Amino acid sequence: MLRPEEMTRAVVVGSMDSLDATIECLYELGIMHLIDFTKQDEEFKLGQPLPRASDSSQKLLKLRSMIRTLNIEEHEPSAKLHVKDIDKKIEHALVTLDVNTSSKAEARQKIQSLIREKEIEIKALEPFVTFGIPVEDYEGFDSIASFTGVCKKDPETALRSKIKGIEFFKEVRKGSIAVAVFVKNVDRLEASRILSEHNLQEVRLPKLVGQPADIVSKHHAEIKELQADLKRVESDIEHIRKQFADLIISSEEHLAIDVLKSETPLRIATSANAFVIDGWVPSSMLPDIKIALDTMCCGLAFIETVSPEKEEEPPVKLKNPKLVKPFEFFINLVSTPKYKEIDPTLILFITFPLFFGFMIGDVGFGLGLVALGAVMRMKLKRYPDLYRLGAIVLVGGLLASIFGLFVFAEAFGVPFHPPPQSPDEASWESVGNIPINPILDKMHDTKEMLAISLLAGWLHLTLGLVFGFVNSYHHSKKHALGKIAWMVILFGLFEEIMVIAGSATETSHFINSTVFAPIPSMITTLSGIKLSIPAIAFIVVGVLGLPVLEGPLAMTEVVGIFSNLVSYARLAALAVGKGAMALAFNSMLFPLIFDSGNIGIAIAGIVALFVTQMFFVFFLGALSAGIQAIRLNYVEFFLKFFEGGGTDFAPLSYERKYSIAKKQEA
Amino acid sequence: MDIGTGLALVGAGLAIGIAGLGTGVAQGQVGAAAVGATAEDPKMFGKGIVMMVLPETIVILGFVVAFLLMNK
Repeated sequence: MLRPEEMTRAVVVGSMDSLDATIECLYELGIMHLIDFTKQDEEFKLGQPLPRASDSSQKLLKLRSMIRTLNIEEHEPSAKLHVKDIDKKIEHALVTLDVNTSSKAEARQKIQSLIREKEIEIKALEPFVTFGIPVEDYEGFDSIASFTGVCKKDPETALRSKIKGIEFFKEVRKGSIAVAVFVKNVDRLEASRILSEHNLQEVRLPKLVGQPADIVSKHHAEIKELQADLKRVESDIEHIRKQFADLIISSEEHLAIDVLKSETPLRIATSANAFVIDGWVPSSMLPDIKIALDTMCCGLAFIETVSPEKEEEPPVKLKNPKLVKPFEFFINLVSTPKYKEIDPTLILFITFPLFFGFMIGDVGFGLGLVALGAVMRMKLKRYPDLYRLGAIVLVGGLLASIFGLFVFAEAFGVPFHPPPQSPDEASWESVGNIPINPILDKMHDTKEMLAISLLAGWLHLTLGLVFGFVNSYHHSKKHALGKIAWMVILFGLFEEIMVIAGSATETSHFINSTVFAPIPSMITTLSGIKLSIPAIAFIVVGVLGLPVLEGPLAMTEVVGIFSNLVSYARLAALAVGKGAMALAFNSMLFPLIFDSGNIGIAIAGIVALFVTQMFFVFFLGALSAGIQAIRLNYVEFFLKFFEGGGTDFAPLSYERKYSIAKKQEA
Repeated sequence: MDIGTGLALVGAGLAIGIAGLGTGVAQGQVGAAAVGATAEDPKMFGKGIVMMVLPETIVILGFVVAFLLMNK
């Protein structure tokens, strides 16, 4: 929590004989983040792939081409295959299967292209069927030029009036006119001009012999035969697919893992007789790796810890309890924290649902969100991001229900009891008496909600600055003190706001009489605004400290911290906005439903209410509350301390989904 | 209701309305750029969201001013 997993720099060294076993062992454990070896010298060179690598990758290549031909990329094997079976079957299967599939695939392609060819020829010949001219007679004359094609307008009159001794054939079709024109060579240009004026699209006739009608009907018959052939080939391919898809997919996975392992030496240093694998290991896992190496490599390889150089940045593996883990989703969206930085996931786990719950604050919608989150958890395991988001929605919905039940006392935008300010408002009292009274009313206690929002903002921002202090303490004490200056300014600012609010809200009254009680309340009034002298003093001291600690440019950001604090007003703003929206729809549609006296109108009203509530209040409300809750963390909170840019912990490991390795057998 | 209160309410409406417009203009431009960046590299999504929601503070300031005016 708050800190990532502690990492130790370690090297695994051993004799070349044990390289294979060591790599196997490291992949099985999946806890070593390898550092690629780059500095080659006379002694140590980059390793060579293990001997079996080229064989495996060749097989893999064949399998992958087969997967493409058989179109089984998405296939999920019904049962897991043991790697021993895979090794046994794949050798034989590859020889026959490869020949079989590739010849079938070739045949399929050939037939398909033949069919396409014939279809193109039919399409070209069809317009000219009625002319009764054999295809070979359309060209090949010395003194006659011919044009064949499709016109938009009929060119007959124009052609006959301009050119003497013309042979003209036409066939009126849907939206166009097929024409065949024969003219003397001297009239060629003129004919071409006239035809292009009539938008002639020339059609090149295929080089065939015979009447177009005969050719077309012959082609049709041939296509039918070809299609039957295609069907046969397809069914053969389908047969192969059914029989071997499981084996192919499982083997592909197994071989991919094998290639991954056997090419690992390309990333490590080897000499004639020894190898060195350099990397990071979670400190807590060191004993595991020691034991595993001892047992699997028979003492030929061992692990040593080394002290890292100062500028080396260990990879980051976030360490959070299981409940908090889904919230790492939000951290990954921005950037992985650096190794020495505080990991704010835990704070997100607390603040996000609180902010979200406060903004939604409705037991009806809250329970709806809980249900939505639960469905996402149960049904969407395949999509890891949505799966994690499901947990976030669930926790957020839970808090929204708690706020809705105990603080705002309302469900689906309708309060349990009408507020005393407007006793005629629709409420759940007409259904039954719920013995919970609201602590806050969204529409009437806006001031109180604003004060609560600002208090949350002050606490959240101060925590951000504390984290900022801790993060910068190691590399710059001055910078860390700068964070304290910001805290002092923020404290003054908050005190001033609370003094202005005075006893107008219970929150400000409470804060003034507890947090600010030890500070002497020296209040003057300047043009109608209450000013607290100690608060102003805090702000001035902080601002004066800034140029020394953070540089003169920091002075320009003083306004920024004010707008950061005010930014938390969105908590109240969204809650009020959502409440107002629900109230507006309810007060428009309830009279339709209950007072119209017409069952049709009442049903229409219920449908409209359902749609507006679902879409505007539930869906858009949850979306905007979610975005605002995370924004307050990302922008206001994170920018006080978070830099990010750490390297993700990516250990040597693999995922077996469709095959079983030796270890799992036992 | 006297004229002063009426004017204050008009002012409240203007404050939040115009602030909303400002946010909209700013957010539209940032959003377009953020979507472009995310299309090129999905890892930019988080940074894009942060950039995109920055101008929202403008409308919150508008809300606060409107709120103060309404309570005058």
